[in-house]
Amino acid sequence: MEDQKEMELPEIRKKLKELLVENLSLEGIKPEEIKDDEILFGEGLGLDSLDAVEIVVLLQRNFGIEVKDMKEGQKIFYSIDTLANYVYENM
Amino acid sequence: MNIAGIGIISTRGRGIDSLDIALRQGWIAPSQTKSHSNDQNVFYPAYRVKKETINDITILKKIRRADKFSKMAVMAARDAVIDSGIQINHKESEVGIILATAFGPHVTTFRFLDDIIDYGDGSVSPTTFSHSVHNAAASYISSLLNIRGPTVTITQFASPIHQSLILAKAWLTEKRCKYVLIGCVDVCGNVMEYICNQKLRIANDGKIRPFNFSASPSSVPGEGSVFFMTTLENCQNKYCEIIPAYITNCDTIEKSDINIIEADGMAGDETSYQNTAPVDVFAGGYSPIFGSMKIISAFHCTVSALMLKKQIRYACPVQDNPYDLNLITKTESAEIKQICCIRKNCANKTDIIKLIR
Repeated sequence: MEDQKEMELPEIRKKLKELLVENLSLEGIKPEEIKDDEILFGEGLGLDSLDAVEIVVLLQRNFGIEVKDMKEGQKIFYSIDTLANYVYENM
Repeated sequence: MNIAGIGIISTRGRGIDSLDIALRQGWIAPSQTKSHSNDQNVFYPAYRVKKETINDITILKKIRRADKFSKMAVMAARDAVIDSGIQINHKESEVGIILATAFGPHVTTFRFLDDIIDYGDGSVSPTTFSHSVHNAAASYISSLLNIRGPTVTITQFASPIHQSLILAKAWLTEKRCKYVLIGCVDVCGNVMEYICNQKLRIANDGKIRPFNFSASPSSVPGEGSVFFMTTLENCQNKYCEIIPAYITNCDTIEKSDINIIEADGMAGDETSYQNTAPVDVFAGGYSPIFGSMKIISAFHCTVSALMLKKQIRYACPVQDNPYDLNLITKTESAEIKQICCIRKNCANKTDIIKLIR
């Protein structure tokens, strides 16, 4: 089970990076430039609260996952790693 | 009312210098866009604004969520302020904004509607929704340029530029503000191309012919934005005075040095343009440079303002002349005091904009 998770997580991370760059109009940033453990909000990638709402919509559209509790979202949206783990566990 | 600064985004580039170059180069073929209809092998000509034209990283970092409509508006507005050389007092509401459009950000509006159909109303992007409203672009301008005066968006099918000029004059006369940024923006998307293809004749060779005065003219959809920094005061970088008017009888058109005929295939039957260009007045028409748009008057006003400032007559880009008009056939220096832009609008009125040196 753990081996399978490691196999699929890189694909989820890649997909998430592509979705963020395309849908959040991150000017001048390529998906591969986003580090897996880079902080997404504030000082890191510089996303803001509007982006958080946009990510909720992206998860719903692309993975069928709903994030209803935004307090929970703070932990999930910390980095690509935390986001990918959440997606993998809830897919 | 004086034009103190101009910002322009068109298929031929950004800024007044790029317009000068485009007018000297003349007509170039439009890009071909693949049809989104069932027949994937059909291509439509369109004069689209290239991505690199609005790829100004210094501005885009602040408006990364903006759609093409808002980006074109913000950049033209900013350029108009810079071109004027006017230092805005940001503590007071001395600058107003009037943004005029015929269709608004309809590409985003339709994307929003498509998303509702595709994903359901619970999964629609909030960013798409907020940009689907017509006032988004004016809000961006106000925010980015720190302008705190009155701000309004006029959506009008027949004469958007006229309405904005009339309102701006009222604001300035009432001293509601010292300057007014007047702009026109329209964007071209798949929906617009489909409508033009279904309701109008598309010029398959990519050429708009403004002097054919055809009962069923051909059009080539275009897009872009123009902003004028206007004031009643005399200013350092004055282009010209601008005066809007309506008339019902073309015989009453005041004699100018140049009449600009704004036929572009967008308003249907153009036969009534025949009596707008007397033989003793030079006739010009520059819609083949920009494409067909309901806001084409703003682009023609920009060409006129440039001609008055530089004292140059620009050659018409397409010179088909079956009615033997006194066309401007070559670009050359000339003494120009007044230009009259003439447009037959879809409400069966004749819009006149006079530009005086």
